[in-house]
Amino acid sequence: MGTSEDEEGLDILQRRVPAPGPGNAVVVAAACAVTAIAAATFAVAVLTGASVALQGTALAAALAGLALAVRRLAPAVFPHVETAEDRDAPEGSDVPLSDVEPVGRRPLLRRVLVAAGGVVGLALLAPLSALRPPRAEAERGTGWARGTRLVMPTGEPIAADDVPPGGIATVFPSDGVGREIAAVLLVRLSGVAPADPTRLDWMVGDDLVAYSKVCTHAGCPVGLFSERTSTLFCPCHQSSFDAARGATPTFGPPSRPLPQLPLAVDGEGYLIAAGDFGGPVGPAVG
Amino acid sequence: MTPLVGRMLDTLDERVALRRPARHLANKVFPSHWSFLLGEVALFSFMILVATGVFLTMFYRPSTAPVVYTGTSAIYAGRELPEVFASIVRLSHDVDGGLLFRRIHRASSHVFIGACIAHLLRVVLTGAFRRPRELNYLIGLTLLLLAVGSGYSGHNLPYDVLAGTSLRILYTLLLSVPYLGEPLALGAFGGEFPGDIMPRLFVVHVLALPGLIAGLMTVHLLILGRQTHTQLPRTGIDGAQRVVGEPLWPWQAARSTGLALGLGATVALSAALVPWSDVDLHGPFEIAQTTNTAQPDWFLFWVEGVLRIYPPIEFHVAGTVVSGPLVGGVLLPLALVALGYAYPFLERRRHPEPGDHHVAQHPLQIPFRAGAVAGVVVLLVLLTLAGGNDVIARLLGLSTESVLWAFRIAVPLAPPLAAWGAAAHARAQGRRWT
Repeated sequence: MGTSEDEEGLDILQRRVPAPGPGNAVVVAAACAVTAIAAATFAVAVLTGASVALQGTALAAALAGLALAVRRLAPAVFPHVETAEDRDAPEGSDVPLSDVEPVGRRPLLRRVLVAAGGVVGLALLAPLSALRPPRAEAERGTGWARGTRLVMPTGEPIAADDVPPGGIATVFPSDGVGREIAAVLLVRLSGVAPADPTRLDWMVGDDLVAYSKVCTHAGCPVGLFSERTSTLFCPCHQSSFDAARGATPTFGPPSRPLPQLPLAVDGEGYLIAAGDFGGPVGPAVG
Repeated sequence: MTPLVGRMLDTLDERVALRRPARHLANKVFPSHWSFLLGEVALFSFMILVATGVFLTMFYRPSTAPVVYTGTSAIYAGRELPEVFASIVRLSHDVDGGLLFRRIHRASSHVFIGACIAHLLRVVLTGAFRRPRELNYLIGLTLLLLAVGSGYSGHNLPYDVLAGTSLRILYTLLLSVPYLGEPLALGAFGGEFPGDIMPRLFVVHVLALPGLIAGLMTVHLLILGRQTHTQLPRTGIDGAQRVVGEPLWPWQAARSTGLALGLGATVALSAALVPWSDVDLHGPFEIAQTTNTAQPDWFLFWVEGVLRIYPPIEFHVAGTVVSGPLVGGVLLPLALVALGYAYPFLERRRHPEPGDHHVAQHPLQIPFRAGAVAGVVVLLVLLTLAGGNDVIARLLGLSTESVLWAFRIAVPLAPPLAAWGAAAHARAQGRRWT
């Protein structure tokens, strides 16, 4: 940042020496005393595991005391000075960037060099492929198929009667517990008859229906169910779906229903899927 | 200066010839107006973030594998938790000073982003982005974006239920990108959500972003040093040639030191009083679980708002889908960022003023600028409010549906109206400082 010229001194416009007073010295001394005591308190508080309220207050007092002391000491020691600095003007293209003159031009060789550098740069993008997931994982589908058992997050199978009227349960395919895209919400409707476009033949009984739990708007879990209005609700952006009418969107930003999962009961009385979802799962893929 | 310090400085000077550059630096002029300190607040809060962040990093474990937490937290003792979440519970309950430094880190992150925004507003409103400072404006805007990226990645490091929800929405936004959605989302997350995101988020937050911020801040300050500050107009001073103010040494140094210490005291006191994102407030993220209070940090509330109020429209065109998350969560933010980068050049087209500009302008001097700022600010404030439309509905005793529709109507209409009104007001006032 050094200047080229040897013009060192300050161009002082105003110089004012604050009136000396005993007050400032007292304030600085008192602030320093507060700082020392507070800093010691802070150290002890941290070492003894005292409350964060004490630790934070002590640290704040120590720093605030120091800040006050610095601000009050400066006018006791130095005058207030106002000064002006010249702005450096650009010197224009007459001034060379270097004093070593080229002896040849070789434009073609320069271009070849730049191109070679470009190839190196592009080649260095290839290792980005390391970020990519293993192929098998990228092509797995939803994991639901005919006969896949519905299990709770604990891995236990679930029977139709395990969901009380007006209740919901989150389930996964038995071979994909915790797989977000496969999460299903079991809903037992109460006091309302399911209607179009619900696939009645995909329900168990006349009240147990299953939908994808992944909101078709932004992918949050649709976690809340209002029994009175049979509304499924996503807390992220207030997407609402009518569970008695094929999870059709009723409010907020979603434009597609939650896809329904065809349900059946296996020989042991546990719930199984009768196939994959009736539509695309989750938010739009561009 | 004490003799000891003097002797040490002499020793140093004899070896690295420091005296002349040090004196040049000490004589560097700083304008006295408070608004020139906003950038310093950003700088000091970044320093606090780095210092506390180094401490936090030592206890953080970016793995989601389940472990049993066995520390002193009454809420989590004996529970199986994702290791990353457990490491923050341990930091908060079992590490000396851990809770304090975590809270200070969070508080400083809010200050950092807030100060960057305020500093940007000062620069835009006074025309300090004009030639010759366009480059430093572009660097500054980049620093704001990096700061927001740091805030977002840091918000998600605890892997609590807020983080899980916010990461799931990021995954959706990446997925919505036309043609490239799937490779982008799977590539960024290393698999289908949640993939292997935590180690990646960790290295981005503790290494890549702070490294970039530190580097760009250094360049920002070096350019500032070469160009000097802009100058509020003053009679008898040709602001185009000279900058007036206090030299760095001694009063300005005392002021800046006081500011840094005062900022430290403020965030420390706030950490004593406010449970900034305490680990006890939200449980760990579990797949397919969320909470009613799911929300991003305040500086991304506007994205939340646009996702909420976007109408239920999704259409297929040219083999891809144009969805709400794409338009509201990807294209609109990108458009705003592009507008930010292009602004100095757009304004110059509208108001061609040849030559360099070193004297600050009144915020209402250029109607085009007053209108642009008013439009963007009203848009962002409205969208931020829309991110809390349910809370607003409850407070006003209205239905969420009517509040939603009010925002759907206001968001496209109010910003252009505000821009037009502010420009007309500025034109009528004809205010200028010079």
